[in-house]
Amino acid sequence: MLEVNGLSTGYLGKDVVHDVSLGVGTGEAVAIIGSNGAGKTTLFRAVCGLLGISAGSIRFDKAEITSQAAHRIARQGLAYVPAERRLFPFMSVRENLALGCYPAAVDPARLEFVLGVFPPLGQRLSQRAATLSGGEQQMLAVGRALMARPRLLMLDEPTTGLSPKLAHAAYRALDALKQEGLTLLIAEQQVPLALSVADRGYVLEDGRVQLEGPAEDLAKSPAVRRAYLGVA
Amino acid sequence: MTAVVLDGIVLGLQFGLLGVGLTLVYGLGGVLNLAHGQLAVVAAIAAALALGAGVPAGVAALGGVLMAGLVGLILDASLMRSVYRQPTEGRVLLGLLLTLGVSFVIAGFLVWQFPIEALSLNIGGGAVELLGVRMRRGSLLASAIALVAGGALLAFFRLSTLGRAVRSVIQDEEGAKLVGINPASIRTFIFVLSAILAGLVAITRSMTSPVPVTAGIDLTILALVVTVVGGLGSVPGAFVAGILLGIVNTVSSFYIGQYITSIVLLAAAALTIVLRPSGLLGQRP
Repeated sequence: MLEVNGLSTGYLGKDVVHDVSLGVGTGEAVAIIGSNGAGKTTLFRAVCGLLGISAGSIRFDKAEITSQAAHRIARQGLAYVPAERRLFPFMSVRENLALGCYPAAVDPARLEFVLGVFPPLGQRLSQRAATLSGGEQQMLAVGRALMARPRLLMLDEPTTGLSPKLAHAAYRALDALKQEGLTLLIAEQQVPLALSVADRGYVLEDGRVQLEGPAEDLAKSPAVRRAYLGVA
Repeated sequence: MTAVVLDGIVLGLQFGLLGVGLTLVYGLGGVLNLAHGQLAVVAAIAAALALGAGVPAGVAALGGVLMAGLVGLILDASLMRSVYRQPTEGRVLLGLLLTLGVSFVIAGFLVWQFPIEALSLNIGGGAVELLGVRMRRGSLLASAIALVAGGALLAFFRLSTLGRAVRSVIQDEEGAKLVGINPASIRTFIFVLSAILAGLVAITRSMTSPVPVTAGIDLTILALVVTVVGGLGSVPGAFVAGILLGIVNTVSSFYIGQYITSIVLLAAAALTIVLRPSGLLGQRP
């Protein structure tokens, strides 16, 4: 579904991500793991068109999306939920969700589905997004992305600012979405959580892919265990 | 006193309509359009010329408003593109410089070509009594148009998908891109809408007093004051501030003198910046 080949990108002419290649198959959940500053967010921003690239190519569902504007990529069914969520703070939960499927009108069945995935949002439809708790804001960010029935959902650090309990709840919701057939690409520092949902994973360090493989192999890899799981 | 306040509301509704356009353009792209008042004058002069050529008043007014919109579209497609390409800090400064330049060019051209032209729409008929005050029909029609336009704008921004998209770009441009909204086309749409609103103000204003070819800078300053007091980026704020400033304007003009009104208005803006920097209804696009 998503093919990234030899992607290099960065800021102010200086590459932060170097020659990264990765793929995500339909219905798959793929994790990009790496510490803070490894280049995960930069890579994601480049894939979804928010950041220009200096080399490489990106294909989504066999269509070339390299250097396309972010709003065009979003309309093709690639939804990105950044770590800072990017909600519309002074709009209600309902309005945020409605904009998720812009420019189409809200499909009541889809809204019902999203509220089924995140029941707390149903009780806060008229509340402003800015007044929601961190966990609810994360639900709204993912819910908004789901409104357009994306084919690929990219999440950057979906557990940012969440308590361990809420983080686990967030991953349970993601697992449920995966079971529904949604393709997922998740950047995460909390490696055990990411690998609990992912089929495959890539380890990103200093902007380069250092390791890749099935999730269970990565979980067993001495390098990953040492660096991210706190196991000597 | 009632008469003065009513006159203030009539004036304030025009102020509100004038401020809305400026505040929206600023909220969307961080550009304070210093040519805003000149766009109103473009509409006024175009309508006055059409009237002079024997075109019926309604058609002339509509033509004037559309002419302002067209100039807005041309500005957006040319100069504003380079402004929006700049990062935020550069954008503010370049936006101010370019729109100030545009303002000089438009004013210079109009004064050169039509030095004594002014738009004055005479709405006939006798006075109408409202709350015991005899109001001119022109005042009432101007207020009705401003109220309808304001109500339509509020409904548009609250209820329509496109209106929500505009608010989303004001609140979080990157978030808007991520849901598939193109901020550049939203900005073009709002720049043109803002020019049309400026044109509409020229038309409604001319129903109560003439709008001369030199009115541009005064209208721009008024729009700036309304925008600052109402809160940058806030549509309801612009109308609330417009009405309040309209009342302040007529009351101070009536009890002190016309010469004091500009000072009072600017003082109101300064006071707002000190007491409530985000404006009356700031941060609520």
